[in-house]
Amino acid sequence: MTALDTDSLRALIRPDRVHRDYYLNPDIFKLEMERIFGRSWLCLGHDSQVPEPFDFMTTSLAGQPVIVTRDRDGEVHVMFNRCTHRGAQVCTAPKGNTRRFECPYHGWVFHADGRLAGTPYPGRYAEGFIEEGNFDLARPRVEIYRGFIFANLSQDAPDLAEFMGPMLGCIDHMVDRAPDGEVEAPAGMFRYRWDGNWKIQIENLNDLYHPMFTHASTTAEDGTQFRRQGAEEDDAGKVKLLEEGASLNAQWEDQLIEGFPWGHSSMQSFPVDKGNSGPVYERYRAAMVERHGDRAEEAMRVKYHNSIFFPQWSLQYLTQHIRIMNPISVDCTENIIIPLKLKGAPEEMWRAQVRSNNNSHAPSGMVMADDMDAWTRCQNGLKAQGNDWVIFARSLGEEKLDNAGGFTTTGTSEAHSRQQHRAWLHYMCDAA
Amino acid sequence: MADTLTEIEQFLYREARLLDERRFEDWMGLFADDGYYWVPGVADAEDPYECVSIFFDDKPLMKTRIQRLRHPRIHSQEPPSRTTHFVSNVEIDEDFGEANEMLAYSAQMMLEFRLDQQTSFGGRCRHLLRRTDGGFEIAWKRVDLVNCDGIFKTLTIPF
Repeated sequence: MTALDTDSLRALIRPDRVHRDYYLNPDIFKLEMERIFGRSWLCLGHDSQVPEPFDFMTTSLAGQPVIVTRDRDGEVHVMFNRCTHRGAQVCTAPKGNTRRFECPYHGWVFHADGRLAGTPYPGRYAEGFIEEGNFDLARPRVEIYRGFIFANLSQDAPDLAEFMGPMLGCIDHMVDRAPDGEVEAPAGMFRYRWDGNWKIQIENLNDLYHPMFTHASTTAEDGTQFRRQGAEEDDAGKVKLLEEGASLNAQWEDQLIEGFPWGHSSMQSFPVDKGNSGPVYERYRAAMVERHGDRAEEAMRVKYHNSIFFPQWSLQYLTQHIRIMNPISVDCTENIIIPLKLKGAPEEMWRAQVRSNNNSHAPSGMVMADDMDAWTRCQNGLKAQGNDWVIFARSLGEEKLDNAGGFTTTGTSEAHSRQQHRAWLHYMCDAA
Repeated sequence: MADTLTEIEQFLYREARLLDERRFEDWMGLFADDGYYWVPGVADAEDPYECVSIFFDDKPLMKTRIQRLRHPRIHSQEPPSRTTHFVSNVEIDEDFGEANEMLAYSAQMMLEFRLDQQTSFGGRCRHLLRRTDGGFEIAWKRVDLVNCDGIFKTLTIPF
């Protein structure tokens, strides 16, 4: 491939397949960082990760270093971690609590909200050179929705509500399950990297064609990991994904998948052998009814398994976590897994979720190890010549379109991946 | 004292060798029925139910993991990891825990080789050991990796 004009980008995507350069070409990756990650709302985490005034954490936004802080008045800020003097990062601790960030290089100091607090020996700058506001830490656009922190590098991108559309309801669906109407992230996070392109992973999350093969060692009759979901205290957190002896494939094919504009999609929760029950669950139900009355039962019914917020993050409802997928390079992707606690729910449920997240989504997690191995094989396999196309033809054209740019489909259809490819083209070509 | 220390060192070396020889069932057999294996995912962890953990396995979960490691279709272990576990800096605190228990401190490293990549892990390790007729059983083993909250790749073999 030579110059990356829109024609050559369009030529990578066909209705039922994509060209391998989509995953392999470092120049395309650079353009993606600019045109996709530079213009979409990216999740940085949850505001409960900085619960107290002057708490902070450092992270990255499309590869750029940022600090998330909470100021004296409780307001959350996101600013670039770059001194406005010579450019040094003003903070390198992963998290902490501080009233001011002092750049170690020449001692410029910034308040927790990013305003410049002072410069040492200012007398040798020209009169008026340093004025209020002109050397504050720079900031991306920020929106916070029910505690989830989002930032956008573009001033021209649509606002969060328009970008998310119906997907805001997927966040509500997680948060509304908490009796207190809030979630929090007190357990820390897992971070890991795998050697492949970010799009391979985001195509996987709602892919129901892979579990029975990729996860054979964990889902087959003699691999029982999915059948044991924490909650050793009682049955509240235990689910079985299948009836004994039922066909995995048949149940998977009935799963509802909904797609939305901008590449987002959501998958219905997995079929389980029985509803939640037990004394802990009854305490949860009582807390929900007390707070939410008639709406409690609906809120407690877990509708989704995964919601994908293209291009960078997902919510998983079974073990309850945020998954942030940050591209590091064309062939390296970082995952950040942040377990979410339902405030006001019985502690036993949280304890079960902590364990369940460990077992499945730690770097040692039995599900993740399978997936990351398969994705890495894709990245390596695609280097082979002689077959330039990657196939996404399952149930082509069978999805039911709505009038708002969305669709519904079921089971092992690859409609959600095809829709991500269209969103990719829109970002890379139309919105350019 | 010296004899007990030697006895415990030998126990820890044997544990390491069982893992290196992929004798995972025998390794699990070293743990008490109510024993657990814990590798916290945060520094200075206090409660495995309050933080993420790389491993927090009771025996049923260990058994599940080992069944998985033995599964013919575990593609993430094709080829399997080769490991060498190192144990050093062993100290014991015989006053810790119940009368028949003692705490062993050690420093541990694991070299892992798979798919042309060699990775090293290391950290401080504590075993709560219970005397049995034949020697010891592990009431709990805790490994605090120096990079416990760092960025990992896939992990499969216990430390």
